Amino acid sequence: MDRRTFVAGATAALAAAALPPPASAVVPKPYDWNATPPMDDRQAFIDWMVANRGEDPLYLGQRYDRFLQLIAHNDVWNDRNKRAYLMTPREDFVTKPNLSRAYEWHYLDIGYGVSITGPHTVMRMTNTIDPQKGERVLEVGTGSGYQSAVLANLTDQLHTIEIIKPLYERTGGVYADLIAQGYTEYQAIQRKNDDGYYGWEEFAPFDKIIVTCGIDHVPPPLLQQLKPGGVMVIPIGPPGAQHVLRIDKTQQADGRFTIARSDIYHGSIVNFVPFTKLVEGKIVGTHSN
Amino acid sequence: MAPVDDHTLTDLDGTDVGMAVPRLFGSVGLLAGAVIALQIAVMRVFAVGSWSHFGSLVVSLAMLGFGLAGVLIYAAGGWLDRHGRAAAGVALVLFGPLAVAANQIAQIVPFNAVFLVSDPMQKWRLIANFLLYLLPFLAGALFLGMVFRQERGRFNRLYFADLVGSGLAGVAILGAMHLLVPERLLVAPLLLWAGAVVLWFGARRRLWSLVGAGLTLAAYLALPGLLHLPALAVSQYKGISYARNFPDARRLYRSVSPYGDLQVYASSYMHFAPGLSDNAAFNVPELPPDSYVGLYLDGDGPSGIMRQIPAADTAYFHYLPMFYPYVLKPDARVFVTQFGGGLSAMTALNAGARSVTVAEANPEVLRAFRAPTLRAATGGILEDPRLRAVGLDGRLYLARTLDRFDVIDLSLADSVGLSNPGGFAVIERYAYTEQALMTYMRALAPGGILAVTLWNKEEPPKSVLRFYATAAAAARRAGGDPARSFFVASSYLSTTTVLYKRGGFTAAEVARLEKQTADLSFDEVYAPGYAFDPNLADGILAKYRASVFGDGTSAASGDAPADDASAAPPGDGASGAPAPEPSTTLARLAWHEEMSRGGPGALADYVFDIRPLTDDRPYFAGYVHPGDLGRTLDRLDVLQDDWGYLLLWATLAVAALTVVPLIMLPVLLGGRRTVAEGRGLAPVLVYFGCLGLGYITVEVGLIAWFARALTNPTISAATVISGMLVFSGFGSLAAERIVTRARQILPVLLAAIALALAALPLVLPFALATLGTLPIALRLLGTIALVAPPAFLMGFPMATAMTWLGQAGRERSFVWAWAINGSLSVVGAAAVPLVAVLYGLSAVLYAAAAAYGLAIPAFLVLASSAAPLTAPLPAPT
Repeated sequence: MDRRTFVAGATAALAAAALPPPASAVVPKPYDWNATPPMDDRQAFIDWMVANRGEDPLYLGQRYDRFLQLIAHNDVWNDRNKRAYLMTPREDFVTKPNLSRAYEWHYLDIGYGVSITGPHTVMRMTNTIDPQKGERVLEVGTGSGYQSAVLANLTDQLHTIEIIKPLYERTGGVYADLIAQGYTEYQAIQRKNDDGYYGWEEFAPFDKIIVTCGIDHVPPPLLQQLKPGGVMVIPIGPPGAQHVLRIDKTQQADGRFTIARSDIYHGSIVNFVPFTKLVEGKIVGTHSN
Repeated sequence: MAPVDDHTLTDLDGTDVGMAVPRLFGSVGLLAGAVIALQIAVMRVFAVGSWSHFGSLVVSLAMLGFGLAGVLIYAAGGWLDRHGRAAAGVALVLFGPLAVAANQIAQIVPFNAVFLVSDPMQKWRLIANFLLYLLPFLAGALFLGMVFRQERGRFNRLYFADLVGSGLAGVAILGAMHLLVPERLLVAPLLLWAGAVVLWFGARRRLWSLVGAGLTLAAYLALPGLLHLPALAVSQYKGISYARNFPDARRLYRSVSPYGDLQVYASSYMHFAPGLSDNAAFNVPELPPDSYVGLYLDGDGPSGIMRQIPAADTAYFHYLPMFYPYVLKPDARVFVTQFGGGLSAMTALNAGARSVTVAEANPEVLRAFRAPTLRAATGGILEDPRLRAVGLDGRLYLARTLDRFDVIDLSLADSVGLSNPGGFAVIERYAYTEQALMTYMRALAPGGILAVTLWNKEEPPKSVLRFYATAAAAARRAGGDPARSFFVASSYLSTTTVLYKRGGFTAAEVARLEKQTADLSFDEVYAPGYAFDPNLADGILAKYRASVFGDGTSAASGDAPADDASAAPPGDGASGAPAPEPSTTLARLAWHEEMSRGGPGALADYVFDIRPLTDDRPYFAGYVHPGDLGRTLDRLDVLQDDWGYLLLWATLAVAALTVVPLIMLPVLLGGRRTVAEGRGLAPVLVYFGCLGLGYITVEVGLIAWFARALTNPTISAATVISGMLVFSGFGSLAAERIVTRARQILPVLLAAIALALAALPLVLPFALATLGTLPIALRLLGTIALVAPPAFLMGFPMATAMTWLGQAGRERSFVWAWAINGSLSVVGAAAVPLVAVLYGLSAVLYAAAAAYGLAIPAFLVLASSAAPLTAPLPAPT
């Protein structure tokens, strides 16, 4: 075994050991597409989630606090997407050293030079493509699996591709554990270990595509596999300052396709900075004050 | 060992203390060389393993070891009279093992810049890296400081050995970079250290010295393999790490040199098409999966190298932004200012260019393209009969050639553009300055087109606005009608292309460029006669400011732009012509102002500093206005593009905060009168502080200046450092001739230095323009010839005054002065790039001149407080 292989293997083993152990609790009630947790009261939310999902109140509280900031920053703006956020245990997708920061604004390292995107960007992208149940969604860059887990609360036609094999396998283990605990919605996630540049021809065309890896151009195969009228989102820029590029594909009367690039906020200048501070569940000011 | 005191110093010829002079000088020179070699080697380790500007931060702070050593030596005081030589020996011995241990441990606890903000552990790791690397530098500084103290009566001669040793090591490590890969580069400082140890301990302990040095080297080379540790931990977030993660990746090529660690990887998972239009998806057949290999420099990249693609696929090039000039000039004589991965050259050839001249300043890139192992991957592009490659910087070549070109291309010289997770180092970008653009414009044939493509991935935009201002300024100075000479198109969050036509575009040409823009679905930013709608730009500057420095509550309060999103949530499909993106509107506003007002106009109020790049301020960095710096701390994520610059402020702050206690500690330990030995503190502080600041300012400043002619920062650094230190060494040696007359001569010398430095900004632009056109060997010699005269003079003040303090028996002031000098060097090194970014490289030299000027009154006060020195100097040996 040469050194690089050894180092890579050792890194993978270490990274796997770094993952949090699966939560001991088992989801008490089967997944229900129509069940929605309370959104306007922190304690009610926690109680509902403990009763229906069996999750840890500590993380539920953090999830709710972040939820208020997501709303304050317009990173999520409709109830289906709000529900998807609230129903997804982000703490199960971060590595152990980052558990205490699972619900912070930032992106976090998950190994292999890959990060789990911050909750604001994840929800901004999710709500932008706003998949309807039954719509076919392709995700390029499975990474931690968190983005797909959120999407699994919006559609049951979900396809995701990861290029890095050990990461693909590790995330597969995370899903398997969660499914075993009762997160049956993740069974709908179809995954493969491949080069996402070429999309997933077998399931094309897609209503929505979400790309979470950096590249110097938008892969033409993905543009081809996007349905006319479909939407694609791609975060651009360094991890912390990612701007979300929205791409709309339309078909003209003469049959030609046109591609329009825009910011997801339709020409508004986005507030980049997550300054709002929470005190007892209320947004009270900024770090600067 | 005989105690050494001031009275015996003057008649020391080396044998008295049991060591021959050549051995003493040799070990000082070699260890000083080892220190500088270690500095450069550690910088290379950071450049390859993570990001070079964090290396600068760690290394420049590690040099605080010199200030700290001064304090420790001061505190040891008289103890060193008896044990100084033994203590120096211990410090010397420790340098090597500490360097090896620090470097190895740093590889186990690597620091990851990407998570500096989000992961609180990272700042501790950064501090750990600094403390680790501080150790060998502290050991080296202790050795040198203790030897200097011991031999203070002939300081100037030892200082000569120190400076010449450092200078020659600069050359040596440049050579070593050809032989040693970065993960083995510490061999160079370790060998220099081993030489110092062997000389110092002499024949009686030669065996032990050799065994110890050998074991240290063996440990450096073998420990990673034995313990399964990385010899050099490469961040998983470096471009090259991704390539290595691809299952079919294989390395085709590697070369190491001062030009960097160049590696080429092949993998079917690599896809390049920088700035490719989205419309290519429906108009171009898919390229074969193995069309590319990736070129990485110091692990950064990739730059795509493309195989020759089938004739049927050449439509691909039509959809690249660098194709623009060929819409008007299909059979052009083309000049490509930076060959890089060859995509611009290939685009020109495929567009039907009559001839293509490519310039590449990095000879290793051309060598790679000619390597047999890469022939297939590069499509043998260099053998194309229409192509001619010149191994020179494009700008320097165009400045001297009499050839004129129909198209001059400067495209996406940086591989992946502005998405470097560690932010960008503050480096000189002489290819993009106003003067560079004027050179390109002059090299255009009548009707010729200059085409520059840049990444347009920043939001809010920064570098593109800076470049727009630069291009407009260059056109105004080049003559003609700028308003008719530009066509600018960009793609949102992708690229922007600026076309400049000598003599101006005709209406028909504008129409063809507009059609190309429509074909590519790019946004027109400026064209002759473009009607700008000022209403669209209403309030845009204030909104951009609020988006970066506003308080986050505005988003919730209802008056923020982001609130539009909830009013009209995205996803409702296209209805009519969409409003342009704010960044596009801003770019249009910038061009409108430049063309209608001849300057930035309203853009002067933009949230970021977007003044044009000039040869004096050649930086795509330092966008945050100084007045906003205090607001950056809680929004560093947003400002990642500018981290390289912000880190410099952090370095300066840490250095300044550390230096004050370091300098004041001796005063607190011994009391004011003790340190000054009955005389004023201020003259010593000001005089040696000014010398420390002044010298390093010239050194770091000239490295930046000469990068223009030497085209590579590493080569510039090694040449300037070597030239300056060696000639300052000779100045130091000659200083003993003026010690007894210092009060009369030194002020004149200091004034001469200040004048020479102040004159340099007037002389250097012309000198560098000439120098830049010469072959590399002459350029190196010319650099040394230019730095030699001021460097020689700058060798006098420190050596004269220190020798004088030593001979006057002011041992405490001597040590304190040495600590002050070392500490302020660190502050100066951190301040130089900031002064350069804010005020320009000329200002750096003026600041240095001022420091030497300020040293004159300080010296006069210092000298007046002492009895005239009449003691004879040591006889030359």
